[in-house]
Amino acid sequence: MIEFRGVNKWFGALNVLKDITLSVEPGEVVVVCGPSGSGKSTLIRCINGLETIRDGDLVVDGRRLGDPATNMTLLRAEIGFVFQSFNLYPHKTALENVTLAPIHVRKIQRAEAEKAGRELLAKVGLADKVNAYPAQLSGGQQQRVAIARCLGMRPKIMLFDEPTSALDPEMISEVLDVMVAVAEEGMTMMVVTHEMGFARKVAQRVVFMDAGAIVESGTPEEFFSDPKTDRSRAFLSKILRH
Amino acid sequence: MIWQQLQSLVGSYPLAVRGLGMTVMLSLISLVLGTLLGFGLGVLRTGGNRLISTAIGTWVDLIRGTPFLVQIFLIFFILPELGVELDAFTAGIIALTNLAACFICEIVVAGIRSVPTGQVEAALASGLSRWQRMRQVVLPQAMRIVLPPLVGQYVLLIKDSSVVSAIGLTDLTRVGWLVVQRVPNGLLVFFLVGLGYFIVCYPLIMLARRLERRMGAAHGEVQL
Repeated sequence: MIEFRGVNKWFGALNVLKDITLSVEPGEVVVVCGPSGSGKSTLIRCINGLETIRDGDLVVDGRRLGDPATNMTLLRAEIGFVFQSFNLYPHKTALENVTLAPIHVRKIQRAEAEKAGRELLAKVGLADKVNAYPAQLSGGQQQRVAIARCLGMRPKIMLFDEPTSALDPEMISEVLDVMVAVAEEGMTMMVVTHEMGFARKVAQRVVFMDAGAIVESGTPEEFFSDPKTDRSRAFLSKILRH
Repeated sequence: MIWQQLQSLVGSYPLAVRGLGMTVMLSLISLVLGTLLGFGLGVLRTGGNRLISTAIGTWVDLIRGTPFLVQIFLIFFILPELGVELDAFTAGIIALTNLAACFICEIVVAGIRSVPTGQVEAALASGLSRWQRMRQVVLPQAMRIVLPPLVGQYVLLIKDSSVVSAIGLTDLTRVGWLVVQRVPNGLLVFFLVGLGYFIVCYPLIMLARRLERRMGAAHGEVQL
């Protein structure tokens, strides 16, 4: 579903992605973790073309990125992206946030899109917030609307960029619960997060990155109980300390 | 003597109405055209094509950096030399529309740039096309920033329209010049001319102020 082969990316002189080779199968849930600045976010932002790669191959859903024949707008419609800072449209209600792309990109009838949108908002536990504006919602509620907004497009892949990092602690679990439900429905997911409980629960694989390179990759069980490298051990001891 | 002058002024009433009508007409037409053109230029300028963006930027700087009177003379006197015949009214509309479009372009660009990158990324990530992103996500949010200075710009435009009297259009200012030849009281005549402009502009000034307050209040609710 997602295939990185020898991918490199530079920001100026800084090699932010170093020789990334990684393959994600359909239905697989991969958690990406690592210290800040290690290139995790950049890695998943490349998948829907929010960042461009300098060399190597990146094939998503059978389409090669950077290939003139690949229509990025069409490809992006198949990929949901959940941001750390939610990025809901502040001038639109929760329901309008969810139905905007289905109506304009998928050309679904408004009534039909609204019906689907209400169902999705109910699914993320926000049936009563359909007409609320983002500013009237808590962080956790906004992030759940953002997830519903992605699901409204019926994507093949969902990418999460630190979805709970901007949330107050008591709101983290309500968002993780929704993500677990999405994962259990068989969605292909790549999740940048330090929520190790989530990783243990649903991830088939944990990828550990440091300084732009994939340092270690394995099942959550292997990674947490028996990290192979000094860097991953140091990282785990820091995030699991408290 | 002042009584005679006042009587004579009352006699100039139809001329004054014609002048006011001309000023309102000139302003209204170029305000509508300038707004449309200004939004178009603003959207194009932020559209990502460097050549188009530079071209628009250079033109806007040229217009902002030269006196409006000179622009009007250039359009009215130079274009016929190049074989383009223009009547004064058309020349006035072209000059005013161009001026308005350039200033409005800058306002629109500032509004578009004020929309957080995350908004564009979210729209991009959900597969919206360039035009859909602009129409559905960026412009509605930019309008909050754009609206108050836009109305303020309309006030400036109405006042700048007085410059077209220089190419012989009988607008409110020129009516002042005509009347003052019959009624030798410049202070009184141009006080009334000023009052005429103020009556047209004041509602807009009030509107701009109200919009600014409302947008300010609305902004308090919006989480960026």
